[in-house]
Amino acid sequence: MLVLALETSTAQSGVALANDAGVLAAATLGAQRGRAHAEFLAPAIAFCLARAGAGIPDLTAVAVGLGPGLYTGMRVGIATAATLAAARGLPAVGIASLDLLAFPVRHARRMVCATVDARRGELFWAFYRPSPGGVQQVTEHRVGPVGKLAGELSALGEDVLCVGDGAVAHRAALESAGADVGAGATDHPTAQALAELALPRLRRGEGGPPGSLRPVYLRRPDARINPPAPILVTVPPGGGEGNR
Amino acid sequence: MLVLGIETSCDETAVAVVQDGVTIRSNVIGSQIEQHRPYGGVVPEIAARAHLELLVPVLDRALAGAGVGYPDLDGVAVTVGPGLVGALLVGVAAAKSLALACDVPLIGVNHLEGHVCATQLASGSLPVPMAALIVSGGHTSLVLLRADGRLQTLGATIDDAAGEAFDKVARVLGLPYPGGPEIDRLAREGDPAAIAFPRALLHDGSWDFSLSGLKSAVVRELRRRQAAGVATWAPDVAASFQEALVEVQVAKTVDAARATGVDTVTVVGGVAANSRLRAAMAAACEAAGLRLLLPPAALCTDNGAMIAAAGHNRLVAGERTALDVAADPNLGLAPLPLPPLERSRT
Repeated sequence: MLVLALETSTAQSGVALANDAGVLAAATLGAQRGRAHAEFLAPAIAFCLARAGAGIPDLTAVAVGLGPGLYTGMRVGIATAATLAAARGLPAVGIASLDLLAFPVRHARRMVCATVDARRGELFWAFYRPSPGGVQQVTEHRVGPVGKLAGELSALGEDVLCVGDGAVAHRAALESAGADVGAGATDHPTAQALAELALPRLRRGEGGPPGSLRPVYLRRPDARINPPAPILVTVPPGGGEGNR
Repeated sequence: MLVLGIETSCDETAVAVVQDGVTIRSNVIGSQIEQHRPYGGVVPEIAARAHLELLVPVLDRALAGAGVGYPDLDGVAVTVGPGLVGALLVGVAAAKSLALACDVPLIGVNHLEGHVCATQLASGSLPVPMAALIVSGGHTSLVLLRADGRLQTLGATIDDAAGEAFDKVARVLGLPYPGGPEIDRLAREGDPAAIAFPRALLHDGSWDFSLSGLKSAVVRELRRRQAAGVATWAPDVAASFQEALVEVQVAKTVDAARATGVDTVTVVGGVAANSRLRAAMAAACEAAGLRLLLPPAALCTDNGAMIAAAGHNRLVAGERTALDVAADPNLGLAPLPLPPLERSRT
């Protein structure tokens, strides 16, 4: 099993190449260079393959982060993964960015709240409980203002570790709600965590066709319906749907 | 040489396979019109989402339609701009991934250059020199394809694109999106001389266009008539608006051809499907002794085949695009190398 893992759903971009023994090569573009996903990704794949002494024909599967997060970054990752899987006939696995944030802190021995900055004063989040060998998601993926998450944290009345750039951006509000906010290495979902989570799924035959990779947006697109200007004109019978 | 072309700059998810820059093996277009119709225009975020959804099905169908597999491809061409950045990035990411997966060169293509290369698909070679009017929902430009193969912008709209003007006037008349075909159909029953709408910049000596004033003039006239209690026959509005728009486009195109000394003219882009524009341009070119090339409508609207043809020309000229190329929503025109087909004849 040789899996290529692509995670570009937040301001940090990452590529990892892993086999059953672990990660062979990885490349990361820091969040400070954010939004350069599209320029970074393809050269980073070539770099990881070269460093691992492997080629595209050696790949046996593709994994990708599905978001929620930055829509453009998510789409760049998924378009890259889906096309690669289609062209090479490889199974593909998609995993939510929030799962990738919770997994590395599975040894925290308390409830974990994974967050991604959703801009406009909002966050994406989900709660996870440590379980043997990983984490168990206990709430659905949500989007909302920080106040809503703070309310959930207070209502929970439990010791919670918040991770992710959403929590970092809203640290004060979450700490006032009694939560701890992790820092540093836990800010962004990584391609290494993606590869680690994807490998067992692929071994269980849970890889799907490229069309099964569907982004997790959690929001509807911003779009307004423009009402037609109310000007009366006469249209011929059957000639369109004009206002008569 | 088999080149796969990907076009996602606006609201068409298009993939084609073209052989030797002229033979279309497949040309698949996944349309998003239904998704944008309720909004009366293209919504960028809806377009980007739809591109990702349509990407793999359209790719698969393009290869199946061409009767080839991924290993048969010799190159991948993709629109890198101008266009909607979120939409462009889906195609650019897919093209890079495909170039990596198939170990073939990547070539980035300017969308406008792609439009001009529709004539190469229609005529079997790229005719140079030539004046090209590129008219669509996003673009209204007059460009010169010079004898040395360089594309040069002669003029462009200073505000709205022609297709935008059609959509806006259609909305005012209560017609569905997209407005171009609707106005075209309605105008056939109307009198093009019924209302004298302004011909913006017709005699300003430039090859630029201005279309926002025409749209406003239509709205103003309709409101005036409504206030005065004058009944308005919608086909007359459609025909008069269309005539004003077409007259300026035709006059400037013919003038540009004369001034630059070319004897061939083409019209490409979605608005090139407009029947009045086609007829008026044909009549004006005949009167001026110009040869008019009108690619079929399917090649005038956004498609992957024109991108594959343009990419083929650049690949054959030895050009390659690096895998770290970004999408550029405001990309300008760069020199276009001459395709070998035409070069061998001169």
